[in-house]
Amino acid sequence: METMRLETAIAPEKIAAMYLQYEVERFYTHEAALLDHLRFEEWVDLFTDDTAYFMPIRRTVPRRNLSREFTRPGEMAFFDDDKATLVGRVQKLGTGTAWAEDPPSRTRHLVTNVRIVEDSGTELTVETCFHLYRTRLKSEIDEWIGRREDVLRRTEEGFRIARRHIYLDQTILLSQNLSNFF
Amino acid sequence: MTTAAPGTTAYLESLVNVATGELDRRIFSDEEIFELEMKHIFGRAWLFLCHETQIPKKGDFFEAPMGKDNVLVVRQRDGGIKALLNTCTHRGNAVCRAEEGNVRNFMCTYHGWTFGLDGELVGVPGMSDFYHDDLDKTKHPLRKVAQLDNYKGFIFATMDPQAPPLLEFLGRTGRIGIDLLAERGDIEARPGVQKFTLNCNWKFAVDNAFDYYHPQITHISAQAVGMIPSADATDTGGAKTDEGKSLGVQRLPTDLDTLVALGEYGHAISGPSLDSILKTLPTEMHELVTWRQNPGPLAFLGPVGSRFAGHPHLFPTAWFTMDSQISLRVPRSAGVTEVWWFSFRDRNESPEEQRAQLGRQIHSFGPAGFLEQEDGENWSQSTMQTRGGASRDIPQLLKMGLGRGKIIHEDGVARIEAPVNEYAQLWTYLSWLEWVKGTGWDELRSSTTPGDHI
Ligand code: FES
Ligand SMILES: [Fe+2]
Repeated sequence: METMRLETAIAPEKIAAMYLQYEVERFYTHEAALLDHLRFEEWVDLFTDDTAYFMPIRRTVPRRNLSREFTRPGEMAFFDDDKATLVGRVQKLGTGTAWAEDPPSRTRHLVTNVRIVEDSGTELTVETCFHLYRTRLKSEIDEWIGRREDVLRRTEEGFRIARRHIYLDQTILLSQNLSNFF
Repeated sequence: MTTAAPGTTAYLESLVNVATGELDRRIFSDEEIFELEMKHIFGRAWLFLCHETQIPKKGDFFEAPMGKDNVLVVRQRDGGIKALLNTCTHRGNAVCRAEEGNVRNFMCTYHGWTFGLDGELVGVPGMSDFYHDDLDKTKHPLRKVAQLDNYKGFIFATMDPQAPPLLEFLGRTGRIGIDLLAERGDIEARPGVQKFTLNCNWKFAVDNAFDYYHPQITHISAQAVGMIPSADATDTGGAKTDEGKSLGVQRLPTDLDTLVALGEYGHAISGPSLDSILKTLPTEMHELVTWRQNPGPLAFLGPVGSRFAGHPHLFPTAWFTMDSQISLRVPRSAGVTEVWWFSFRDRNESPEEQRAQLGRQIHSFGPAGFLEQEDGENWSQSTMQTRGGASRDIPQLLKMGLGRGKIIHEDGVARIEAPVNEYAQLWTYLSWLEWVKGTGWDELRSSTTPGDHI
């Protein structure tokens, strides 16, 4: 049986798309590993200086009011951070006195369903689903599942997150805080 | 610990000792006490529901908790507001399953009974074929709260028809608490109420609003990154980390100059005085508090009321912050409390000012707030330890400044001037006791009227 050579069987643009998908997924698994290993200073470096990190409030609304399910930028939110604020959060964790994370939470960031929905050349729009699992102290478990909408900018150092919107699948949060990153 | 039989007045009175500043930890986890609270506090007090700007258009609704009851606050066709119990008068199903939204009417999805915005029963499937037209629809509207009122756009309700009018319930101290938000300008609720769940008793969250002793430790990391100011002066009193190191605890610069107001029915204010906060705020932020010296606000606040820059709290569960937010502590069970953050803006402020305030609101409080991230675990762990057979026998201490609280009566306000203290917490529990005993309204008022010292 003759082995078909990949590049003759599949159109080059498809191979390029596969490679891009591979690069983006590798970026996300790297990012998740940084968070799960508490390497927050390196994590925050993955964001551009003009980044926007936003987690709106979600509300249970009637189907006909679905357009107001999520709050928008400029309204109340759980996170509405620029780079300086994100760096501030990381610095706070680094003080050694951020008690909400001491003892540290144990987290697992699972990132899946990676879809590149737009590629403008300099930037990609990427949607992912995530499952953040956290255990704390002796027996506390928190879980957040949701969807992220990122803008990834191509830079010389690789992808950098120029915007992240995080949409949780909870309305009333079931946890005592959001002291972790998404 | 007490020998009186649980449930009796003698038993309840043994739980709060104002003279020694000691509480019995049972009040934070006993189910029977929680049920008494539901009946005598949440079944009687005026409770904050929402702000009128959250439901501007006819058919807009917001679901609010009143004890274990859920109430729909609904904008009426004529522009008025009604508060209806969210339970179908047929067989009890919730007639609305959303937290907020806009509807033409409320149709129960069990059998289809349909209620107008005013709660009237307007539709019954099978009215002639099944009911033989033999059902008086006028007898089965959605039930209303006993009393509903509005103070400067802040909507309150009580389930007790005998409760005094809202203005009397609030009294001078409660009104000052609201005025410190309402008089700031043309106030509007920002879309989006942050809601999250704590495994703590509601009273831990409530008394913390007055606790200016905890920021220097609980929020030391926020202080370290500049979210809250610190003083050079320290009084660590020997506090050391588990490695034996001094944390270099830096109290807040305002901590030696604080003001407390104690009000009827358990309302209170505690925290920095205006003068001390002005000394710590950068000049460009003075407007955050100086607006209250303008003639309009001053007319309501008065010379004394305008000096409070701490935390007003309306008994039982509504804490007003200095920067236009309300934190509602919603008891769900003895050990579970939801925190609901309502946030406001002043429509007269510039877009830049409004944006800056939004940032402060999001980044200070709420579950991801630089400050509040650290609070929940203190309260949930404190709650957990009240369940231990031996642990619960250790008294809960509110001894700071005990016996030194000289109350000054001036301009209708009962105030104390002192360094950081625990007077407002003690006042809350003193009043709490009167409420849970089921004390009648007149006696409740007189027993929670401040005297000359605490
Ligand atoms: S329970 Fe509502 S219609 Fe039957
Ligand atoms: Fe706090």
